[in-house]
Amino acid sequence: MRQAIAAFIATLAIATALAAPAGAQEPRRGGTLVMGQSTGTTSFNNAVGSGTGIMVPGAQIFASPVMHDDKWNPKPYLAESWELSPDSLSMTLHLRKDALFHDGAPVTSADVAFSILTIRDNHPFNTMLAPVDRVDTPDAATAIIRLKHPHPALLYAMGPPLMPILPKHIYGDGRPIKTHPNNTRDVVGSGPFRLVEFKPGDQIVLERFDRFFIKDRPYLDRIILKTYPDSQTSILELEAGRLLLQPFFNRVLELDRAKANPQLVITNEGYAAVGGINWLLFNNKRKPFDDVRVRQAFAYAIDRDFIVKALHKGLSKVATGPIHSGFPQYSPDVTKYSFNLKKAEELLDAAGLKKGPDGIRLKVTCDYYPGDEDGQKRLAEYMKPALKKIGIEVEVRAPADFAAWAKRMATKDFDISMDAAFAWGDPVIGVNRTYLSTNIRPLVFTNNAQYENPKVDALLDAAGREPDADKRKALYGEFQKIVTADMPLFWLTELPYHTIYNKRVHNPPTTIWGTASPMLDVWLSEK
Amino acid sequence: MSVAGVPRAERPSLEAMRMFARSPVAVGGLVLLAVILLVSLVGPLVYVADPFDIVAAPLSPPFSEGALLGSDQQGRDVLTGLIYGGRATLTVGAAAALISVVIGITIGAVAGYFGGTVDEVLMRFTEFFQVLPSLLFAMVLVTLFSPTLATVVLAIGVVSWPGTARLTRAEFLKIKQYDFVAAELAIGARRGRIMWKVILPNALPPLVVSATLAVGAAILFEASLSFLGLGDPNRMSWGLMIGSSRSYMLSSWWAVTFPGLMIFLTVLAVSLIGDGLNDALNPKLRERR
Repeated sequence: MRQAIAAFIATLAIATALAAPAGAQEPRRGGTLVMGQSTGTTSFNNAVGSGTGIMVPGAQIFASPVMHDDKWNPKPYLAESWELSPDSLSMTLHLRKDALFHDGAPVTSADVAFSILTIRDNHPFNTMLAPVDRVDTPDAATAIIRLKHPHPALLYAMGPPLMPILPKHIYGDGRPIKTHPNNTRDVVGSGPFRLVEFKPGDQIVLERFDRFFIKDRPYLDRIILKTYPDSQTSILELEAGRLLLQPFFNRVLELDRAKANPQLVITNEGYAAVGGINWLLFNNKRKPFDDVRVRQAFAYAIDRDFIVKALHKGLSKVATGPIHSGFPQYSPDVTKYSFNLKKAEELLDAAGLKKGPDGIRLKVTCDYYPGDEDGQKRLAEYMKPALKKIGIEVEVRAPADFAAWAKRMATKDFDISMDAAFAWGDPVIGVNRTYLSTNIRPLVFTNNAQYENPKVDALLDAAGREPDADKRKALYGEFQKIVTADMPLFWLTELPYHTIYNKRVHNPPTTIWGTASPMLDVWLSEK
Repeated sequence: MSVAGVPRAERPSLEAMRMFARSPVAVGGLVLLAVILLVSLVGPLVYVADPFDIVAAPLSPPFSEGALLGSDQQGRDVLTGLIYGGRATLTVGAAAALISVVIGITIGAVAGYFGGTVDEVLMRFTEFFQVLPSLLFAMVLVTLFSPTLATVVLAIGVVSWPGTARLTRAEFLKIKQYDFVAAELAIGARRGRIMWKVILPNALPPLVVSATLAVGAAILFEASLSFLGLGDPNRMSWGLMIGSSRSYMLSSWWAVTFPGLMIFLTVLAVSLIGDGLNDALNPKLRERR
């Protein structure tokens, strides 16, 4: 009898053991995902604001017409299907009929029309929906976006971080949208999670919306977004298992540390559409940076392999041009600048910048955008010894705060500066702004190199309107060729953005938008 | 005719020097400081290099090729940093202490000598500075005017004078009641003469000690500011070295330990000298021996 029991137990144990791995792969409902963020949230309304602090929670609360997979393919979301007219001037969206806002009201084409026009008129990315003329709503489930000219970027501008569908009955009440009280409390969207608690600077609690229109999703009961401005705190919380997922993490040292922890996983997937690149900005309107030879000399003197391998511990990638290599429009066929001090000195000699008796040719100041230690400050500091080798003395001007740096950029009061930008899904949205001569404005994150090339303006305009993907790619290829030859700024690295997560987290968001898209498939296992 | 009982007639400086020399701890401090000064002031003339140059792979440990004491996260040589960083650190220490002593003595002397409403106003003003958390206040100042060596010096000087002012005031309050001051008044000496030529020299001993310690405090202050990322990024200093390498403390101890050690030794030397001076200049102790 005893033997029989033992045998039974053994069989049971084996059966459990065999079942366990299979069971572990089965998504489990429930649980609270504690997520970290480095920038605090000031608003949830991503129709009128950008930045990860708004886009990450915004994409959970609001649903968008489409979402995207990890291969840049659009997928149905609020829109079951969509079609572009043959002349590429109207996009018809066929909406789901079962989608509800968190207050129970149905999502209709009127909400879609209202949201698109609100975004067009208020979003900081003003090129994103600029070609939208109007939105027609023949019936409650159909919205037709009428365009002034073809606008292929639209398919990405309709994605989760960029096009939240707002309930018109709440946000269309006539109060100014940018300061609408429902941007921060009683936020109503139609996304998988609804806002239940918001303590600014501390945490955001999101709970599953039970009447969400996609059946059996999301798996998670709750998402808690905790703000940790200090990367060291995040890593300690991750190691302690209290923090389960930290997106948009770019501190090299802590990433290296997380890599060594068996309980943590790091991935750079989920940042394709973000397309972050940092660069050295030249004030093209100031002597001697108006001379392309001088700018190129800087490029030859900067060892980007050193930056990537030594300063970024191999976690970033050399950027070869204005478009991130993860983008479909990326072209490797560009003017490349390899580390070559001799060439740099020849170019400076040719440009008439001869060495003085003290070996100095030129003195420049170098600014940097504060807030990204590894992507900005360290690189600005690196310029000092690197450029000294070709006789350029660099004085690093530490900015007091973001406003101080932004002012120097806006007033063009700089020689060279570190800078960076995200592309957000399409060159039209995030790349054009840095190179279009029409975007030389007294503002930060515009064409602060003050680069003017009519050919580039024409190419970007044509590419923005070209509906054919291959022809479009060719136009952007041409653009990349010209810009890398002109070099109004020098691209250094693709930013080392990573997600760190606990092994308990399954299906971490790895689409092109990463955590700035709805976390429908993320689930948590016990261990 | 000399007024009887005036201490300044005794020429105590020689005596004090003898007292100082008799204390091995004080002399040790002096020797240590002399060595540090020599290395920092003469070192850069003998050993010509740029402390910002990348000479080795980042974070190479000590005894690596090209980096005897290792390199920091940019691949800059720690040893070169130590030799060149001393200048900035010591300059900040001395200049900031000087500013704080000048402000402190002026305000303290005026308050102590005149008393009454002047004293009241100046002391409330001093208290205003005293109750502000000094590191925080210095951070605000440096942030406001962007971190350069000059603003760091000014910020430290401006936040650290209240102690000296209090001490000076107390000394002045005490000494102005002495007979020799009354005698000066009787012969019709002007106020300025009494304050600066009669009272101040007699108040100097504790002030010298306090000034010496202020140098040490200012060096620590500069290190704290740099640690928080508010040092001048274009001037190598020990504080800057610690500040830029602090996140690598666990993996690369050398990048912070050596500059930290230099700061520790300098402040120790200055404190030992201050201590020795205190003993030497204290007339009560002098009599005891």
